Amino acid sequence: MKNRDEGMVKTYHRKKLLVSITCVILALLLISIRLLYVCVFQSSYYLEKAQKLHERERDIKALRGEILDRNGVVLASNKTVCTVSVIHSQITQPQEVIQMLVKELDITEEAARKRVEKVSSIERVKTNVDKETGDRIREYNYSGVKVDEDYKRYYPYSKLCSKVLGFTGSDNQGILGLEAKYDAYLSGTPGQILTLTDAWGVEVKNGNEERDEPEKGSNLYTSIDINIQSYAQQLAQKTLEQKQAKSVSIIVMNPENGEILAMTNEPEYDLNNPYELNSDLLISSTGTSKMDLLNNMWRNFCINDTYEPGSIFKMVTATAALETGSVTLNDHFTCGGSAIVADRKIRCHKTTGHGTQTFTQTVMNSCNPAFIEWGRRVGTERFFEYMGKLGLLEKTGIDIAGEASTIIHKQENVGEVELATMSFGQSFQITPLQMLRAASAIINGGNLVTPHFAVKSVSEADGTAVEFNYEIQSNAIEEKTSLMMKDILRQVVEDGGGKKAYLEGFSIGGKTATSQKLPRGSGKYISSFIGFSPVDNAKVIAMCLIDEPQGIYYGGTIAAPVIRELFENILPYLEIQNN
Amino acid sequence: MDRTRKKSVKRYFDYSLLFVTIFIAGFGLIMIYSTSSYTAQMKFGNAQYYFKKQLMFMLLGFAAMYVAYRIDYHVWHKLAFPIFICASLLVFALIPFGSEANGATRWIRFGSIGVQPADVCKPAVIMMVSSAVCSYGTKLKKFRYVMLICILTGGVEAALVFVISNNMSSAIIIFLIAFVQTFIAYPGYKIYVALTGLVAAGVGGIYAWLTNMIKGGNMTESFRLNRLLVWINPENYASDKGFQTVQALYAIGSGGLFGKGLGKSLQKLGYIPESQNDMIFSIICEEIGLFGAIFVIIVFGVMLWRIAHVAQNAPDLFGTLLVSGVFAHIAIQVVLNIAVVTNFIPNTGVSLPFISYGGTSETILLAEIGLVLNVSSKIRLES
Repeated sequence: MKNRDEGMVKTYHRKKLLVSITCVILALLLISIRLLYVCVFQSSYYLEKAQKLHERERDIKALRGEILDRNGVVLASNKTVCTVSVIHSQITQPQEVIQMLVKELDITEEAARKRVEKVSSIERVKTNVDKETGDRIREYNYSGVKVDEDYKRYYPYSKLCSKVLGFTGSDNQGILGLEAKYDAYLSGTPGQILTLTDAWGVEVKNGNEERDEPEKGSNLYTSIDINIQSYAQQLAQKTLEQKQAKSVSIIVMNPENGEILAMTNEPEYDLNNPYELNSDLLISSTGTSKMDLLNNMWRNFCINDTYEPGSIFKMVTATAALETGSVTLNDHFTCGGSAIVADRKIRCHKTTGHGTQTFTQTVMNSCNPAFIEWGRRVGTERFFEYMGKLGLLEKTGIDIAGEASTIIHKQENVGEVELATMSFGQSFQITPLQMLRAASAIINGGNLVTPHFAVKSVSEADGTAVEFNYEIQSNAIEEKTSLMMKDILRQVVEDGGGKKAYLEGFSIGGKTATSQKLPRGSGKYISSFIGFSPVDNAKVIAMCLIDEPQGIYYGGTIAAPVIRELFENILPYLEIQNN
Repeated sequence: MDRTRKKSVKRYFDYSLLFVTIFIAGFGLIMIYSTSSYTAQMKFGNAQYYFKKQLMFMLLGFAAMYVAYRIDYHVWHKLAFPIFICASLLVFALIPFGSEANGATRWIRFGSIGVQPADVCKPAVIMMVSSAVCSYGTKLKKFRYVMLICILTGGVEAALVFVISNNMSSAIIIFLIAFVQTFIAYPGYKIYVALTGLVAAGVGGIYAWLTNMIKGGNMTESFRLNRLLVWINPENYASDKGFQTVQALYAIGSGGLFGKGLGKSLQKLGYIPESQNDMIFSIICEEIGLFGAIFVIIVFGVMLWRIAHVAQNAPDLFGTLLVSGVFAHIAIQVVLNIAVVTNFIPNTGVSLPFISYGGTSETILLAEIGLVLNVSSKIRLES
């Protein structure tokens, strides 16, 4: 009985069980409430944090904007290229894959085998494979072979305007020229793919992808005229060969607004292979590193380098002399073949002397002793003032980086001899473009323009356009001086040193120069000519520089005919009527 | 005559408990596959690695459940002490044979199968307490004898597990099982109310002290104390000690009301390490949302209610206590696990019964349900 009593389940046991189950249910209720709190009230907070943790961003390259000439011809565009890679773990037919790679990619079997047999997650076989080849490789449908498409900058005219356009780097970023200067406009906005990944960063298959589409860069419309540019480039190349010169540069500009129609520096390089030396440079290369050679190849002489302008600069001296009233058109000068300045004897290029000349004739003859006199009359202070007015003491402000600065004596150090040599364009250095800009101001009525290429950038997506405006300093010199100078420069071409630029039926003005390269006596020259047309109302101004020509080196003999040939073709094209 | 008497006595069988058990075990298996397939594929190249192992243990568990159901539970009265000793020896066996993982020795390997002695201790303690209580008889009117049983069985076993395998959570569970069983055995309430008040005051005190310490900003070296600091502000330690907790909260939070859909969890892709283990409930929340999670809690509630019902109606005190022990075992683990996952209490490794991955635990729990079913089958329905 006693035993049985102890083995019995009593009421209090049941009660205690009831208490227990009640406690448990209360506990479950409590944690359910906690769960409710996390799931409802903290859900968005944790969800956002979790999403940040799970998402990986992958950039999608934006298509780069195109560069076009003034007629809308595309000078720089984009091309689809492919990257071929192999994924070791997924290759099932290694032998077939190797043979296919050898056949399609033009690589040695050894190289293909090395890539295919290398144990790595992904091995790049070849980049910059053209799209047709990429498509063909895809059609083989071998597992473990991956063809990725990408965009690459493509220059349809390869060497055309290379030193102006510049090129892009591996990330499609502009490196030189317009590509670098207008990178912000051209590069566009990269898009993004947000993919879900596991804790190791591996993309989750079939996971939701969020795409943020890339925005193509704006197209850049330039003032370059492809017809003039290609003609100028051909002409420069022809001259380069004929004169066996180191380089030949031609600039064609609208003197009224500074729009550059063409700029070439032969030899140009292939924009599609900018890291490949052009053969001409290779020959003369010993002892210099490849990078130096490349830098040299990419240089734009018209902008990046300075030279002594020589006799072309007499335009500036003449302008200063006329406008300051130091000289009138009726003044005369008698050249005896040389002039004594301080203790030095400076020769005229015509050693027998030009005899007695009018002011205009001194320009036509490009007589050094006469200009020494005109310069002396202007005086150092006003001489510098006019160099400044004509923009020769500052950079031109062209929209390409790397402009060189004027190299000149300090004004207080300029003595008689320095002033004398400066009067005919020696003992200081400027860039060819600075000279052209000054010449433009002299012949356009006195307005100092900013030379430039970019006209506007237009977004393809929404059609919005950004117009680029450039400063024009009007009345840098007086209009009447400009009128006198134009007439003098017309006569230079009609019957003076620039005769060889004379073109029957067109009104052309100009000035020649033959600059001795430093050190003097090295026998190296830069022959140059600046011409413009029509004289009264110039629509085009062009400059030709021949660096280190072999044989005859007089600007009037070799550079002036180049401009004549150029004008012969481009003046009708520009609809500049013959008088 | 004999026959008619046998026929007239209707035996009870708790079908609802059986169905609830099968449901939860099946659901657990699905969740094991969902949580582990991705990482198993990465680690072993076999998405079904954990799933197959768990399935095997589950089948073993159902076999054990059937065996336990077929054995008259009174057998355990006499076997309790030897089983208790064997379980303790198994814990001791950890010293020479245990394999170490994460700084704790918890496993004994038999070939490819690992056994967790701490899990074996739980039914051993349940039996031992029941047996001891029934043997002591009238002495149980005195609280100190009840306490003595609790300490000598649950207390000793818990201490062994804690000291030898450095497994505090299992030790706590083992002790609490014994405590709940003796609570049911002892008639009085007052002393328990007092104890509860004391514990509540202690927890409150510690919490206040910790929040003060956080304001002071000094994180001490102690491993367990750090866990407490992490508990209060897990996101401050998100890259380190609070990592698991924060990742679990991310999972629960991103599940929201209805979840991302079964199989669609992202947190299981390596963000929550070994998400098929203790943190599996957070993936349940992420995949089937608050409603799914609450449903799982309700199913557990139904299971516990059925077990408590069997305990109340058991034919004798031994049966009541056995079933109460099983009740305590499941209830404590469910509550602690979900409380940990939701950062309601500090992080400690408690698995979710029938759902978390783990062979020993799964087999033992199913066998315990078998035991409950056997007790239920002894209930007489008198008309």
